[in-house]
Amino acid sequence: MSFIVRQIALKSSGEEIVRSASYNIRELTVGRDTACAVHLPDLAVNPVHARIALAQNGRLVITAATEQPFTADGRSTLRAEIDPAVGGELALGGHRIAISLADDGKTPVLAVRRVEALSDSAEDRDLADAYSLRGLLPGKRISAWGFALLVLFAFLALPIYSYATYKPLAMKADARRPQGFHADQTWSSGPLSLSHKALGQNCQSCHTQAFVAVTDNACLTCHGKDAHDHVADKARLMQARGEPSGMAAVQRAVAGAFNRPTGRCVDCHTEHEGAGAMPATRQQFCADCHDGMKARLPDTKIADAADFGTAHPQFRPALVAGVERGKPVLRRTAWSKNLQEDNGLKFTHGQHLSKTNGIAQMVRRMPGRFAGADSLQCADCHRPDSAGVRFQPVKMEQACQSCHALGFERIGGTVRTLRHGEPELVVADLRAFYRDTAPVRPANLSGMARRVPGDAALAASAADYARAVRFHPASAGQAIDRAFSKGGMCHDCHVVTRGGTAATGGYLIQPVAQNERYFRKGWFDHKAHRKTDCTYCHASAATSMKASDVLVPGIDGKGGCRTCHVGGEGARLAGIAVKDPVESSCAMCHSYHMDDDAPWLPKGKRPKQDTNAPAGANLAIAGHPRLTMKLH
Amino acid sequence: MASSVKPPATAPSPASPAAPSAAARKTGASRERRSTHEGFLTHRRMFWAKLSGALALGLTALYIFVPLPGTHFGSSWLGYALGTIGALLILWLTMLGVRKRAITPGRWSLKGWTSAHVYLGLCVTVIGTLHSGFHFGWNVHTLAWALMLIVVASGVFGIWVYATLPRALSANRYDAEGAITERQMVEALRSIDRQIHEAAQPLDPQAAALVGQSLEQNPFGGSLWNRMTGRYPDCATHRAMMDLRALRAARQRTKDDLLGRIDALLARKDAMLDRLRQHLKLKAWLQGWLYVHVPVTFALIAALCAHVVSVFFYW
Repeated sequence: MSFIVRQIALKSSGEEIVRSASYNIRELTVGRDTACAVHLPDLAVNPVHARIALAQNGRLVITAATEQPFTADGRSTLRAEIDPAVGGELALGGHRIAISLADDGKTPVLAVRRVEALSDSAEDRDLADAYSLRGLLPGKRISAWGFALLVLFAFLALPIYSYATYKPLAMKADARRPQGFHADQTWSSGPLSLSHKALGQNCQSCHTQAFVAVTDNACLTCHGKDAHDHVADKARLMQARGEPSGMAAVQRAVAGAFNRPTGRCVDCHTEHEGAGAMPATRQQFCADCHDGMKARLPDTKIADAADFGTAHPQFRPALVAGVERGKPVLRRTAWSKNLQEDNGLKFTHGQHLSKTNGIAQMVRRMPGRFAGADSLQCADCHRPDSAGVRFQPVKMEQACQSCHALGFERIGGTVRTLRHGEPELVVADLRAFYRDTAPVRPANLSGMARRVPGDAALAASAADYARAVRFHPASAGQAIDRAFSKGGMCHDCHVVTRGGTAATGGYLIQPVAQNERYFRKGWFDHKAHRKTDCTYCHASAATSMKASDVLVPGIDGKGGCRTCHVGGEGARLAGIAVKDPVESSCAMCHSYHMDDDAPWLPKGKRPKQDTNAPAGANLAIAGHPRLTMKLH
Repeated sequence: MASSVKPPATAPSPASPAAPSAAARKTGASRERRSTHEGFLTHRRMFWAKLSGALALGLTALYIFVPLPGTHFGSSWLGYALGTIGALLILWLTMLGVRKRAITPGRWSLKGWTSAHVYLGLCVTVIGTLHSGFHFGWNVHTLAWALMLIVVASGVFGIWVYATLPRALSANRYDAEGAITERQMVEALRSIDRQIHEAAQPLDPQAAALVGQSLEQNPFGGSLWNRMTGRYPDCATHRAMMDLRALRAARQRTKDDLLGRIDALLARKDAMLDRLRQHLKLKAWLQGWLYVHVPVTFALIAALCAHVVSVFFYW
């Protein structure tokens, strides 16, 4: 007996069926072929795959029949030797052949068993899984957690980390975080406005404390100088605004509940709303307080205003009310048509702008000397200041002296003039003139000119001349009197009283105070109006016959602002017809953070610089495309 | 939703949830059956659709006509209101995942809940977009908005596949002999495999190896791409069939056409595999959108948390 082959099959219940066969031959064949002693119905096995021979020493020698190897004790090989007493295992395809020794201690036993399923489909599998996407995609639960944690890490944990890292930089005007990306920038709800663009990477500049709404102190870290208080007394500001009602009260309550106090800078100056310029303050913000403020603040001096077109008080220009210690005293007075202001000068706009009188005739005779050809123009005397906003004070030397000359002596071709503005010098110059000069010498006292025979006439002339020379310096007094009295060159333009010192011959010139700015609470820019003829607004200039006439226009009436300017939303009073309305919200003339400069305007709304003309040049005579140009 | 995913196994003509009124349909089996099924889309005469539409229109009207200080933005009172409504709505919509595990009838039935989920889910895109005031940027706020859109878009896709694919799924399962279940598909494959194995025993090693590859390949194998497209260029059965045909053509014909028999068996297996794979493809599309819808929902809730915290943090 050489071999025992045991074919072991499994029942579906798991029970083993063993079929034994004995072979009394020296060599067995193993293969798929049914003729093989060890028949393996396995497509991975060759028809004759291997031969098992019993060697003399009782060992089994297994050799592959072809070049296709088999596995012996886990190693792929073409030849193997196995001692049945020790045991071993062969693997061919899906079958295993366990080699052992029979109970008799001599006969080798080959136990054949199929260990792999016949096909992959035959293998057990969970059908619910097999028909789903499980295994092909990460599970819903794991990816849900993964995504959620990723988002929380990137957009919550990291930003908080970078906030905490740079918190010490808060409230320091110049402190900046290093260039580059900081995680809390992902919290920015929108780009910052142009002026705050540089703060884009520096969240801590404004958001100084976690869960605390942006404070005014954060703004004042940088804006200490330019953010003037509208009203120093905050309580008064709140009183002026009054208590909200209805929806606004609900909003206030909710905002309060969420730790968002009102009255902060950021209430008006909203941010993160786009990369452009900050939006202009809307009229509503002003009207909230100033509409009906008298009722809430009975002691206020400010009249109620809600809209320029319909609800704005009459202007109150600041007028010169006198001069104290060399400085004009200004007093605000409600504008009216016949408002008077004593600036110390005698001047008639009407005569000077006339086209028919002697002044006009003089202009016509000197073409090229003046701005106009047939009469004086405003620009002949009024020069804009460097910004073009207002006008320089009229200077006698530039504006008046070409006609109102102060010359009193010609030496050679040079005219000596009296010094303007210094009456002491005028008096001294006149006195010096009469002291150092003599009366004109009579012709008969010199030379060989024909004369009356005899000396009598000559002696009389000489005596007369000697007296004249003797008394010549004394005529200085008369000349001074003439200059300062009616008909004199000083008296033409100035108010002269007696009350001066001896140095001025007892005369006193009333100080002149030219008003540089009439509207001190609102902003008026002449440059923005340069295309308009001067007399369109200063309507009575051509007819004014008194220097004290106030020629600035009021809110309405001829030349008044409402002739063109309507309210912020285009509103206007019923009686006013406006040809080309200019919508004018409060911020056009007024500024919340008041100072002496122009109200702040967003960049896009600022008047464009005219590159062709220098600032302010020819301001008063510039042409106007829309309004009819009136020449005077 | 489960009710509309799988058509009733006994119904030869599963009614589409989108058009249950057009219930009488013919399939391979020439029986007609009227369906009284009312899908979640038409539940209660589209009550939730009307409600959501009215809500969206009303809020849009508020957005357009209510005067607000400053520009329209999340930080106006309307913006905060819209944001609160939107966030609560998103949390409620997420609760369908909990709710669907308890199938109950009635007014607040699972079907009614699903209907509300679908239509309010569509409405939330309008609410979220109005809340944004159309200010978008590379930030956590827009991230939350974008995730919301992805979730809703995947949901809309899900409704579309639920409305269209079940019909194709049953058509694939029916043939002249009637319906075949998922288990039966596997059993059929196993049976064919056994027959192939039996028949292939006398084959020479070269041909046997070819057939063996077909038996060893996992019928459920393949990548996600194979599964979604239904294309399996590496199909061993198909390759074995083609190679054996080439072999058979090269060999001399004998009386016992072993290769011919195996070819016929392989062809049967190939057809069954095609059907199984078509089934897998349809099921993959039916299930796949949830692999976006659900995880992105949780990402959205996380982004929503970050959004809300960030607003109050940098208040």
